This record gives sequence, C-alpha cells and structure tokens, in this order.
Amino acid sequence: MTAGQIYYATTLLVYAGVDVMACIGLNLQFGVSGLVNFGFIIFQAAGAYTAAVMSMPPAAGTFQQYVGGWQLPFPLPWLGGALAGGLLAIPIGLIVLRRLRADYQAIALLVISIIANTVITNARSFLNGAAGLALVPPPLSGVVDTKTVGYQWLYVGLTMLGCAGAFVAAGRIVHSPYGRTLRAMRERELAAASLGKNLVLLKMAMFVVGGLIAGLSGAVLVGYIGVWAPNTWLYPETIVLFAALIVGGRGNNLGALLGALLVPVAFEEATRFIPQFGPPGFIPAMQRVAIGLLIVGFLWFRPSGTLPERRRVFPKAQSGGMRDGDAAEGFRGSPAFDGRPARAASLAPGPSLMPEGPPPAAASVPRLRAENIARHFEGLRAVDGVSLELYPGRLTGLIGPNGAGKSTLLAVLAGTLPASAGRIVLDGDDVTHLPAFRRAQRGLVRTFQLSSEFSQLTVLENLLVAVPGHPGDTLVGALRGRRSWWPVEARLVNQARALLDRFGMSAAESQYAGDLSGGQRRLVEIMRALMLRPRVLLLDEPMAGVHPSVVDEIASVLEGLRDDGLAILMVEHELSMVDRLCDPVIVMAQGRVIGQGSMTVLRQQREVVEAYIAG
Amino acid sequence: MSIYGAAFGFGLVSAAVIAIAAVGFTMQFGIANLINLAYGEVMISSAYAAWALNQAGVNIWAGVVAAAAFGAALSFVLNRLFYTPFQRRGAVLIGLVIVALAAGLMVSNILLAIVGPDSVSYTMADAVVLRAGGLILTWVQLVIILISAAAMAAVHALLTFTRLGKAMRATAANATLARNCGIPTGRVVDAVWVITGALSGIAGTVAAINSASFRVADGATYLIVILAAAVLGGAGQPYGAMLGALLIGEMTELSAAALSPQYKEVVAFAVLVVVMILRPQGLLSKIGALGSAG
Repeated sequence: MTAGQIYYATTLLVYAGVDVMACIGLNLQFGVSGLVNFGFIIFQAAGAYTAAVMSMPPAAGTFQQYVGGWQLPFPLPWLGGALAGGLLAIPIGLIVLRRLRADYQAIALLVISIIANTVITNARSFLNGAAGLALVPPPLSGVVDTKTVGYQWLYVGLTMLGCAGAFVAAGRIVHSPYGRTLRAMRERELAAASLGKNLVLLKMAMFVVGGLIAGLSGAVLVGYIGVWAPNTWLYPETIVLFAALIVGGRGNNLGALLGALLVPVAFEEATRFIPQFGPPGFIPAMQRVAIGLLIVGFLWFRPSGTLPERRRVFPKAQSGGMRDGDAAEGFRGSPAFDGRPARAASLAPGPSLMPEGPPPAAASVPRLRAENIARHFEGLRAVDGVSLELYPGRLTGLIGPNGAGKSTLLAVLAGTLPASAGRIVLDGDDVTHLPAFRRAQRGLVRTFQLSSEFSQLTVLENLLVAVPGHPGDTLVGALRGRRSWWPVEARLVNQARALLDRFGMSAAESQYAGDLSGGQRRLVEIMRALMLRPRVLLLDEPMAGVHPSVVDEIASVLEGLRDDGLAILMVEHELSMVDRLCDPVIVMAQGRVIGQGSMTVLRQQREVVEAYIAG
Repeated sequence: MSIYGAAFGFGLVSAAVIAIAAVGFTMQFGIANLINLAYGEVMISSAYAAWALNQAGVNIWAGVVAAAAFGAALSFVLNRLFYTPFQRRGAVLIGLVIVALAAGLMVSNILLAIVGPDSVSYTMADAVVLRAGGLILTWVQLVIILISAAAMAAVHALLTFTRLGKAMRATAANATLARNCGIPTGRVVDAVWVITGALSGIAGTVAAINSASFRVADGATYLIVILAAAVLGGAGQPYGAMLGALLIGEMTELSAAALSPQYKEVVAFAVLVVVMILRPQGLLSKIGALGSAG
C-alpha cells in the first residue's frame, strides 16, 4: 500500500470506529430504552469541544478564541470528552425526561440541538464561533511522532479500544435483567411504572451512559481530524445515526454496529467514487435525501432492521436441573431479599406467591385505606369522594355501570393518576403523593383493564421483569456481568416456569407477549403482578376475555392469595364470579359509592339494583 | 421615540407571520394527529416557489398566492406519500415523528440541490414607511398583518360555520367515532392538509418578505418559533396558536431590541422549554381545542 492508501484506510477505520461508538450509544437510548434523542449529536459535540480545549495550548497569542487550553496529556482529553457528554446529559435530561410526553421529548431535544448550534455559532469568545476550533493537537503529540504511518495505526488501535469498551458495556446492559427492564419501559411506560420501575431514573441513566459514549466518540474524532466547528454537528447528523440504527436493527448491538458500517461509513464513502456532477453541494444534498428514503423505506418494509432484536429464549433445563423444591424455595437465600424468610409454601398444590413483609396483621387493620378520594378531569368528576378500606385476607369486589369511575379509582389508588383530593394510606403510611413506582415497591400492585403486556418481551421475560430487587436489575449489576446475577436469574426462571405451568401457559414461554391472544395476555399480566409478590393487589377485570376453564383457575388462585393474607380489590362485571369470590362488594355509580356489603345484602338495596344489577 | 415602540411594531408583524404558520401546524397536530416536523421545510420551499415566479417578473403578492398553492400541493403529497400510509398501519405517534423528520430532511435537501445554499431575496417595490404613535411600519408589513388577519378570520369561519369545519372538529375529537357517523375522515384529513399546506405556503412567503433575505437553512429556525407558539397556546388548538403567536412574536422582537437579534430563536426556545415543563398542555388547555392533545 502506498502512504496515501494507508492514510485512506486508517481514516476510514477511525471514522468507522467513531460512528460505531455513536450508534451503540444511541442504540442504548433509542433502540433499547425507546428514548428518541433527536439531540444526540450535541453530546458528541460536547465531547469533541472538551477534548479539544483540554489538549490545545492557551488561547492567548493564537488566532482563535476559546476557553480552557490546558494542554493535558493523553488520555485525559478523551476521558474529559466522555465525561462532558455524560455531564451534559444531566441538565438536559432533567429538563426533558421528567414530565414530557415521548413526542414532546423528541421535539424538545431536536430544538435543543438546533439552538445549541446557534448559540455556539454566535458566541465567538466561547469556542471560536462559526469558524470552530482548528489545530487541535493529536493525542500523544510531543511523546511520539504523530506524522508517521505507525501513529496512524496506533490511532486506529486506540479507537478500536474505545469501540470495544463501549460494545462490551452496552452488551452487558442489553443482555442483563436491567436491559430487560429498559425494554419493558420502551414497550409500555405505564405498566413498567406500575411494576415499581423508576422510569425517570432509568431514562436518566441511559441518557448519561449514551452521553458518555457519544462524548468519547467526539473526543476520538476531534483528536484525529484536528478541527471541530458548528457545521460538523448540525441536527441532520443525528438523523444519519437514526438511519443507521433503523437500517442495522435497533435494540440489537450488532445491528447498531452493522448500521454504523452501512450508513455513515459505506454510504457516505461510496459517493466518493461517483463522478462529480451537478452544482457544488448537489451530491451531499442527494445523500441526505437518500438517508431520508432509507429511514422511510426501512420503517415501511423492514421496521426491525437488517439484524432485528433477538428473542431471548432461556435454556430448558437450568443448571442443576429443575427439582420440585427449586420452585418452592422461591427467593429464599437470594441476596436481593436480605435474608427475610420467604414463607415456605409449595407452588404445586396451592398458590404460594406469598406476600412478603410484615407478619400477617390482624385482619381488623386495613392494609390500604382511602379517604375521600376524588379525581376530576377538566370539570368531570370521575371519582367524587370515595372512601374504602382493604383488609388482609379479603377480596373486595368493585362493581358498577360503565363510566362509574371504577378504573379511575384503581388508577388513583395505584398512583397511575394523581388524586385531585383525598388521602391514601398504605400499611399506616400516607402514600397519596408517592408516584406509582414507589407504591409498587411498597407492595401495592395493579393490573390494567386494557391489556398492557410488554409486546416485544417473551412471556417468560414479562414475568421476570416484575421481580423486585434483582441484583442484575441495576446499572452497576448489569455492568458487572452475567456471573454476578445469573444464579438469581436461574432460580427466578424456575419460579416463573412453575407459575406458567399452573396457568397452562408453559408452551408459550418463549413467544413474544404481543403475539398472544387477548385472554392469554390477561393471564400474563396477572402472573406478572404475582411475580412482584404484592401485599395489596388491584385487579381491573382480570377475567375479561379469558377462556372459562382458565377463569376457574384464576378464581382459585385468587382465593388462595386471599387466604394467604393478601388484600385484593377486584373490578369485575361477571356477577357470578363476584358472588363466588368477593366479600364485601362496593358498588359505584357516577363517581360515588352507592352501596357496600355482601352481594346478598346489596341485592336487596333498591338504589343498587336500579343503578347496576338490574340495569 | 423609543426603540421598544418600533420593536413592538416589528413584534406585531412577526406575530402575524407566526400566527399563519402556527395555526396550520397546530391544525395538523389536532386533526391529522401528526407533529409535522417537515413544516418549516414546506414553508421555505413555498417561499422559493414564489421566488422563482418573482424572478420571472411576477409581482410578489401574486407570488404569495402561488406559494399557497405550492404549499398545499406539497403538503398533500407528503401526507399521501408518507404520513397516511404509516398512520393506516397503526404507527405510533413517535414513529410518525421520525417519519416526519425524515420527510423534512428530504424536502430541504431536494430544495438545496435545486437552489443551493446561498441567501436570496425578493424584488419588490420600495417600502413606504407609515408612522402612527410610536409604531413604525412599512406598507409591506401592514399588508402582512392584513393577510394574517384575513387568514385567521377564514380559519375561524371555516371551523365555526362550515360543514367541513365541523367535520374537522369531529375528526379531531374522535376519528373512529366520526368515521362511524358517516364523516369521510379520509377526505377531511386530505382537506386539512390542503388548507394547512396553503397556510404554510403563505406563511413561508410572508416570512421571507418580512426578512431582508432567506435561505434553505431558515426552514429549521422557522420550525422552532412555530413549535414555541403552538405549544405555548396548547398543541392542537388554533385559537391558542394565535395567542401563542402574538406572545412569541412580541417576546422575540422585544428581546431582540433589548439583547441581540442573534438570539431571537433562543428566546423562543426558552419559552418552549419553560412551557413544556410547567404547563405542557399550553395556556388554553381546553377552550377551543380541536380534540385531545394526546
């Protein structure tokens, strides 16, 4: 190879490395967690600028204006660049990720990206404005001769090292229980929150991790090309990265890698070899048009990309084989449960997913007490001053005509909707102002009326994702690697399988939950709630659309849970089932409680009969 | 005479321009249920369509009419080609945002390939300056305000008095129910794209008239200001967008007088972020809503 060819090859390799890093970072956010970060490129820019001013000489006496100029030795500029990307993610994340709906998030990030570029362009004294920074010294200049071919290969090596680091970290995250939680959040945020997942924290974490990787990619790039200006990080650059993920396969790290190689590298490089034609700027413009077509075309014809996200199939026999005792043992001894004894019970004959926590309280003390709960929607009083108490060991029914406010009440109790007025007390603590995930962590768990399975998770994963305190379900745990969490995982898989077996769903364990029938999804949701080991369970029409034979199974499981001391509230329209299971029964109409007592008593109250039973 | 008096006048003109654009944008969101990130690009493309005619010797006000037709046609095509197919397939809102962004990228780069990146401006008669109180407006700016007022009145009349307008409101409130009641929602949505496309075409051209020169890259900055006005007023609400336009127009011009004109968009952006955090439903949350924003 001539020197020119070598230079070309190394340049291509460094660019490829930078794009691969960026795509892996964006994949964690967009592909895995569902965060549509239209401002991704500014995190790369932050890393590039930071690395530049950390390695450049002081600005005084040069023709450029910039802050910093610390001349720090390698690898500090690279680390600083990564850190800058991660740190920038914190304030932006705090603005964007807390209260905004997903589409507003995307728009806000796009706008932030455009504005950041405008500000940097206009504020010349900060980072040299529109002209940008030039003459950024390459890493190790002064230590080694940076003009040699050997240095080129050294740089390629360092880039690949950065790539490998990002790839391994992202892989550990994606394939861990933490990654499963992220995917659950991507699929259905409300349901994930109702299982005790702290969505804001999860998003912030991925924002920061993605920011770190983006920052590193910027630092690597600027060290190589030596210049960095606002026109290198306009918002369409982010769209190119999105195109790469959509083409490669979002959610799959290998897909991200492939996409990076196909779109920014191969696609943009390929145009070097077509003869120049048209006015200047014509070919780059057409490239962008093609990027748009790639996005739309892939979303239409192959939305999951070239290498789709892989379905996780767990091996049939876990290490050590599945003994009867395994499932029954439950979580006992797992570090996640800090030695609290799980009550010994076997899954096989009776329900055994016992409530944890305080010893069974006297049945006269309510687990959950709601006082004068109200919920208004723009003047409509959906729930209007409802009080109720749920006792351990009782299955309370909630009936009433459509529009009575039953589901709204459930949502307010679980924290999915904030209460407009009233007080909710769980085990003696006021939880009125706690978000849904905190209530779930305290054992208050709900199911949804409309099916709310995590579609792109398998049935088994749907169950596993609900388990609290899994050592692999934290960022640190995930990064430690599979060995640190696999023992717990294996035990949980057995437990989940036992539950699936009980509900006749074993055959479907590795199917995507989104491919199930309506009734099966219902079951998945109930099993998922049980995996959380709730103390108070709020069920919204758990039997709607379920096959009659399975209805009986659900009923007997609920009876078992009730006898084990769980406090259950169940919205149900099938009165025969309410008759069989529920005592007491609360009747709601027009947002208020109009009757309460056993079904026998209620049948004799005229108001109740008129409002509901006869109606 | 203070600089702020003049800035207030400029603010009125800006507000007039933004209002035309933001009402169209917000109607697309409310009725067609789509955040059309290609909106700014449609505006700038229409402005260039008027520019092409203007170069050929056509009066710029006739160019506004042509730009309205161009914007309507382009929006109709974008919807039929990209948005409706994905919506029919049940793509979620966020997927459509990505499609719209890709569509915008294509529109702006096709335009870029044709006209190039440099700034251009319209040829038009020298502006006569009108003074009234503290306000200084050119005749051209006055016409822009009148066009905007006429457009707002037309949108109001459309939504309030016509069958089509009522069908639009029904579609916005609940498209499935509207369809079941015999409203041809597909054709209603087509009409929405034509009408809002015409609005975006007018808006793009008057924005270009109002600024000394314009270039392809302006599409993205238009979008920020429009988003700010639409979100401030409450996404999906035409009357909210009008109010939002007035506030954003005045805020950007007054702050430009006080600070520096380079940061107009930054001010709009700051408003956008504050509104998104503190009151994501916008100032007018339900009054005059074209259906839920969710």
